[in-house]
Amino acid sequence: MSLTLILRHPAASIALTLLAYALAVVLHRRWRWVPPIVAACLPIVALLLLIREPYATYNLGGNTLTWLLGPATVGLAVPMFRNGKLLRRSLPMLAVVVLAGSVVGMVTAGVTAWLLGAPLPVVMSAVPKSVTTPIAIEVSRELNGIPQITIAMVILAGVLGASFGRPLLRLAGVRDYRAIGAAIGTASHGVGTASLLRRSELQATVSSWAMAAAGVFTSLLAVLLKLCLR
Amino acid sequence: MRLIESILGFSILVAFFLLGAFLHKVGLPIPGGVLGLILFYLALSCGVVKLKWVERAAGIMLRHMVLLFVPLTVGLMEMGPVLSRQALAITASLLVSLAAVLLTTGLLGQRLLPAMRHEEAPSAEASR
Repeated sequence: MSLTLILRHPAASIALTLLAYALAVVLHRRWRWVPPIVAACLPIVALLLLIREPYATYNLGGNTLTWLLGPATVGLAVPMFRNGKLLRRSLPMLAVVVLAGSVVGMVTAGVTAWLLGAPLPVVMSAVPKSVTTPIAIEVSRELNGIPQITIAMVILAGVLGASFGRPLLRLAGVRDYRAIGAAIGTASHGVGTASLLRRSELQATVSSWAMAAAGVFTSLLAVLLKLCLR
Repeated sequence: MRLIESILGFSILVAFFLLGAFLHKVGLPIPGGVLGLILFYLALSCGVVKLKWVERAAGIMLRHMVLLFVPLTVGLMEMGPVLSRQALAITASLLVSLAAVLLTTGLLGQRLLPAMRHEEAPSAEASR
């Protein structure tokens, strides 16, 4: 009984999350195919179910970590700025390409979910699914979506794009490196970008810039979408 | 010194986030974090903030970003019913949109980007 009382303290959820994350990083280093986010969440979910505590209790402390996603989003400006300098001459065209990809991504995700009869909050959760997690969460909230569903979709978009993105692009005849980098960054954010880093630095530079730009464009476009819906 | 440098950098990131959050509160419809990002990018571009002040802190935050979305993701444990009822819509939306973004961006990029000069990229950075 007293053990559960201690576990209800917000500091306990923070400690638990840090511990689970550290464990996940170690597992991921050992076995590359273990996604850190899954390895970190499963023990926490298992523990909560075991001691029969609701998610709300855990999230009293969890909230503190969620708040840090704000400053992390700001930090995205650093790779964007650094890579932007390297790509200077291509930037205007690259911006056009990423903007087009972002519009298509938002529209196709929303329309497909809507056509299949999903309720509005689920449709809105799908709209920002291509962009990096902290921005996707914010956009999902702005559109009255369900951030958890958005996160699940964002993670899958990253993992699937990292493994099947290049083969699909090759099949479609896309050979230009920067085009591949732009496509992977726009569709699969940081997870896709990390997968390119092992192959080509230039590609990863383009991808990293595209990822940040897609995040900014998607949040601006979401404002328009919100105005249209009103 | 490294620790102090990281703390200083982290404080700058938080300050820009708070500025963005404030502007969002007073009526700008863009999320606070993204407003902070845009302002911070401008500050870096015009040299108000030096890249070296924030490089380390931003690197740490971006490398360990997964930690920061663990608490929200754990919340999926209470979404079982919604997820199973909407599984088809969610999966289809994900796959259709993923392919559409990859192909639009890739094909358009192939068309528009080769016109540019080839540039060297001595370093790259990835983050989640």
